[in-house]
Amino acid sequence: MKPQEPDILEFTDTAADCSGVDGVNAVLIETDREVQNLKLTIEGEDIDADALEAAVADLGGTVHSIDQVVCGERLVEQVETPQDR
Amino acid sequence: MSDVSSLRDRFDSVRRLLEDEEVRSISRRYFISNGFDGTLTCIGVVVGAYLSGVTDGLTVITIGLGAAVGLGTSGVWSVWEIERAEKQAELMELERAMLADLEDTAVQQRRAGARKINAIASGIGPLIGILLPLGPFLGQGIVVSMLEATLLAIAVGVAVLFVFGAYLGSISKQNWIVAGVRMGLAGIVVAVLNLFLPG
Repeated sequence: MKPQEPDILEFTDTAADCSGVDGVNAVLIETDREVQNLKLTIEGEDIDADALEAAVADLGGTVHSIDQVVCGERLVEQVETPQDR
Repeated sequence: MSDVSSLRDRFDSVRRLLEDEEVRSISRRYFISNGFDGTLTCIGVVVGAYLSGVTDGLTVITIGLGAAVGLGTSGVWSVWEIERAEKQAELMELERAMLADLEDTAVQQRRAGARKINAIASGIGPLIGILLPLGPFLGQGIVVSMLEATLLAIAVGVAVLFVFGAYLGSISKQNWIVAGVRMGLAGIVVAVLNLFLPG
């Protein structure tokens, strides 16, 4: 969640400038009179999550959740298991 | 090197603030409003000085500079305090919506920067409005008489008001000549009203 200002361009640009971030995709999920909810998809070799969260906080935003993390030597996709049904 | 990059960061943040339409809009209002006050005050001062029998251009300039200091300080100081309260109230409303403390964030610092620009614009308005019409008095006794300097000062004041009005007209897609004349008329009204002052 972030205030209306700074706008999505500056917000995404700032996230993309963070250490270890190769690219950012920002999508507007919901907009309110004062605030907006964005979904950020961030990819990078060695993302500094703390620095990223601090940069978001500095722009007045808050990170509500980190919903997927992929680490390791190779990319692992999510696998459907019997528990998912 | 770090000094250079910090200076560049500062320039960038000022440039970003000057590009922000809200900062520009508020600064513009203070600039024009206080510029209008300053110009009309100056026209009042020069006409009043002439009608009171002041014969020295430098005396009129000194009185005018006093008015410039007063209105310039008033412009900066009042806006500094007004915007402190307004921007703090905005931030508190935003904090309520965000459910987060925004002190010492870029959002708060941007408001602090905007407040400085608002205050500077507010102070520059009356300085322009007073200093430009005082110009003709520099030539009093050399190229113009006291009456001519007074009439020229009124003309410069009316021209400054016209420019303020024309600018407002141009940004609001009105006829800039009509908007300029509407503002300029105020200068003539003040000059004429001064003629009816007792004494």
